[in-house]
Amino acid sequence: MARAVRPRSALTAVAGTVLVVGCGVVGTRVARHLADSAWVSTVVIDDPTSLYRKGLVASKPRVSPLGMRSWESVAPDVVVLALPAGHVEPAARALRLGANVVSVGDAVADGRGLFALGPMAASLERRVVIGAGYAPGLTCLLARHGSAEFDEVDEIHVAKTGTAGPACARQHHAALSSESLDWRDGRWERFVGGSGRELCWFPDPIGGVDCYRAALVDPMLLQPVFPEARRITARVGATRRDRATARLPMLRRPHPEAGDGAVRVEVRGRRDWRVDSIVLGSAARASIGTAAVAAVAVEELLAGRFVGPSAGGLAAQVADPVTMLRAVAALGVVCLKFEGATVGSVEPRRRASEAV
Amino acid sequence: MRRLLVSLGLAGLISAFVRLRGSGGIPPQQGGWRELSGPDLR
Repeated sequence: MARAVRPRSALTAVAGTVLVVGCGVVGTRVARHLADSAWVSTVVIDDPTSLYRKGLVASKPRVSPLGMRSWESVAPDVVVLALPAGHVEPAARALRLGANVVSVGDAVADGRGLFALGPMAASLERRVVIGAGYAPGLTCLLARHGSAEFDEVDEIHVAKTGTAGPACARQHHAALSSESLDWRDGRWERFVGGSGRELCWFPDPIGGVDCYRAALVDPMLLQPVFPEARRITARVGATRRDRATARLPMLRRPHPEAGDGAVRVEVRGRRDWRVDSIVLGSAARASIGTAAVAAVAVEELLAGRFVGPSAGGLAAQVADPVTMLRAVAALGVVCLKFEGATVGSVEPRRRASEAV
Repeated sequence: MRRLLVSLGLAGLISAFVRLRGSGGIPPQQGGWRELSGPDLR
């Protein structure tokens, strides 16, 4: 059944052209969402090898393949990078064309490279949105939203489980065997990927999953937004087989699309002179969650609602996380809060400045 | 020499098993997930 076209707010000047680079499980869903958006006039997909391309173009009149055209001739307002990896070079190319960039990637190397494009984006008055997916992406929004409940944020712990398409599964596999970066007491600390097991409880139907350190970009995206936080960590759910085989090539071909996934963000901090914590989360297929967040990020960009640095994650760039969370929920990705149990310490504690 | 290698191998296998298996954790005894809506998203 066709989804209703979302109404355009009064802020909209002109509907934009969006180029989706990489049309796998995630890119296809992003293009579908954008084809139904009132903020978008045309969606062009750049992936001649995509299995989903023909069906997408046939079902959505506003979607067309790039074909023999060049990026220059399309003149996109926003370029969505839904490629497996290597987002830096296409992002730089998009900026040179005068387009904004939305990257759904979660590779640390890509994250660093995209951050480095910040000055270029600033000089061109364009934006690079890094990690606009399920995790990072929705997790950044949940961290921003959750932090509003605290006077001071001490710790943020992100966990995710599940993968989108085959490229995401390969990235997940590589991340488990690569070095993890945690923010601890004002500096970055490196840990072996696959270490630091923690049993994390995700929303139903996922439940408890053992999560481990891995090469994840989430702490890099959150630290500039929460410079006062003592600890920022990210973990990924993995099975024993995943850990045992993390340093080997993938033993079997990844699924075309994995099943249910989930994300979880625990924010610890101080409010009303006591230490408290909240846990926010979401459960959905990773590809569905990623596509919803990326599509909403494109709409927010076209609406001119992003603020802050020219290159950064959603937590840094979004003016109001609630607006985005509502829009993401409208696309079927519901956010949840864990309630009814005490999570973490609640010992009363005074600030040093308050101690007499 | 052979004994040493066998014992080292066994020790490695046992430690790998223990490391991979782990001891699990304690599930939440109360509470549950509630959808963010209304006042949560203002």
